[in-house]
Amino acid sequence: MSDRQSTDDLIRRLAAAPPPVRFSPVAVLGGMAGLIVLGLTFYFAWFGLRSDLLTAWARLPVQAKTVLPGLLSILAIWLALGSARPGRRVVLWPVFVPVALALAMAAHRMATAEGPLLAETLGQTALACLASIAMLSALPLALGVFLLRRAAPTRPVLTGALLGVATGAGVAAGYALHCTEDSPLFVISWYGLAIAATGGVGGWLGHRLLRW
Amino acid sequence: MDLAFALSPRHVCSGPPTPVILATGRAEGRVPQEEVWEVLLARANDGDGTAFARFLHAVTPTLRAVIRRRGDGLPPDQHEDILQEVLLAIHLKRQTWRRDAPVRPWLYALARYKVVDAFRRRGASVTLPIEEFAEVLPEENVAVPLSGRDAELMLGMIDARSAMLVRAVALDGKTAEEAGEMVGITAGAARVALHRAMRRLSGLAERMMK
Repeated sequence: MSDRQSTDDLIRRLAAAPPPVRFSPVAVLGGMAGLIVLGLTFYFAWFGLRSDLLTAWARLPVQAKTVLPGLLSILAIWLALGSARPGRRVVLWPVFVPVALALAMAAHRMATAEGPLLAETLGQTALACLASIAMLSALPLALGVFLLRRAAPTRPVLTGALLGVATGAGVAAGYALHCTEDSPLFVISWYGLAIAATGGVGGWLGHRLLRW
Repeated sequence: MDLAFALSPRHVCSGPPTPVILATGRAEGRVPQEEVWEVLLARANDGDGTAFARFLHAVTPTLRAVIRRRGDGLPPDQHEDILQEVLLAIHLKRQTWRRDAPVRPWLYALARYKVVDAFRRRGASVTLPIEEFAEVLPEENVAVPLSGRDAELMLGMIDARSAMLVRAVALDGKTAEEAGEMVGITAGAARVALHRAMRRLSGLAERMMK
């Protein structure tokens, strides 16, 4: 039970306090991108890029496997940073554009492929794919959530989930340069699952850490 | 600044800028109470404490109105608490306002978030002062598990000072100030001690009833 007198006191105390630390979207962007690139650099140094990268790059499914997650990552981080300030309208549909394109490619592959679709979808390296993307996402996502605690997301779960999707998709775009499985069916399943998982973790972290 | 002024259309920044807003902007400084919120908050974020105090005073009537409109279910004496929570949040999150954006959408979204949060934490239940229903409420005729003898028994099971406080406040009807004076502590400390004692007692009572 407070009265107006104590409200005036509070205003006086708040006015005397120094302004809090500035929320910097550039720091979030730079810090997360830096950690993702650093992680991928170590990963490539250890496990290498795919040996046929230069020749394979001419094929559309190979390009798509880097370009589409990259696009998703950029859109998601842009929306996450927008949603971190009160009073900004968040329009979600852009993130579904790369997802729809990937689905279209998978559908096209399903219609034209000969041979067992299931084996093609399961691939040989699904677990390595999931584990790599998850491991490489951990630090950048943690940093992003930490820096966003200075912001004021009015939908913390959504902001956290977008941050997670941005991280997972960014890592996946780089991991694709190592991965030799080019079927859109494999990519949509396992890259999709990995990105959805980082998004889920991000949403959970948002619920736990981004409320204010 | 009174409420009618705070909510007057010429202070609403969305929509096409009208000559009135421009005039207000230019008159800023000459007519202090018409200072634009954007200018005040921008100065405040640069470290100008006076500007921040003026900003908080300026937005307070609007916030009171928002809380009153949203807070039908809560007694008005809690509205001021919620207002203070919103003011504190404005301070903590003031750097998330972008200088090139109008203040109002930012402020309303922040206030809505904090107000909804405050009401949710207090529970959506309707609380009304029970005194007004004293005449119509039926007398509770269930057996009271905590009879006088039980109370004395349980008070013997907690430390002497807490027992003294509980006896003074709960059984003899003294205020926390008087009770604190009796045992030589401040009213605030007495309230805290009392709260802890009551919690221990209710734990004891639960065990006794099993």
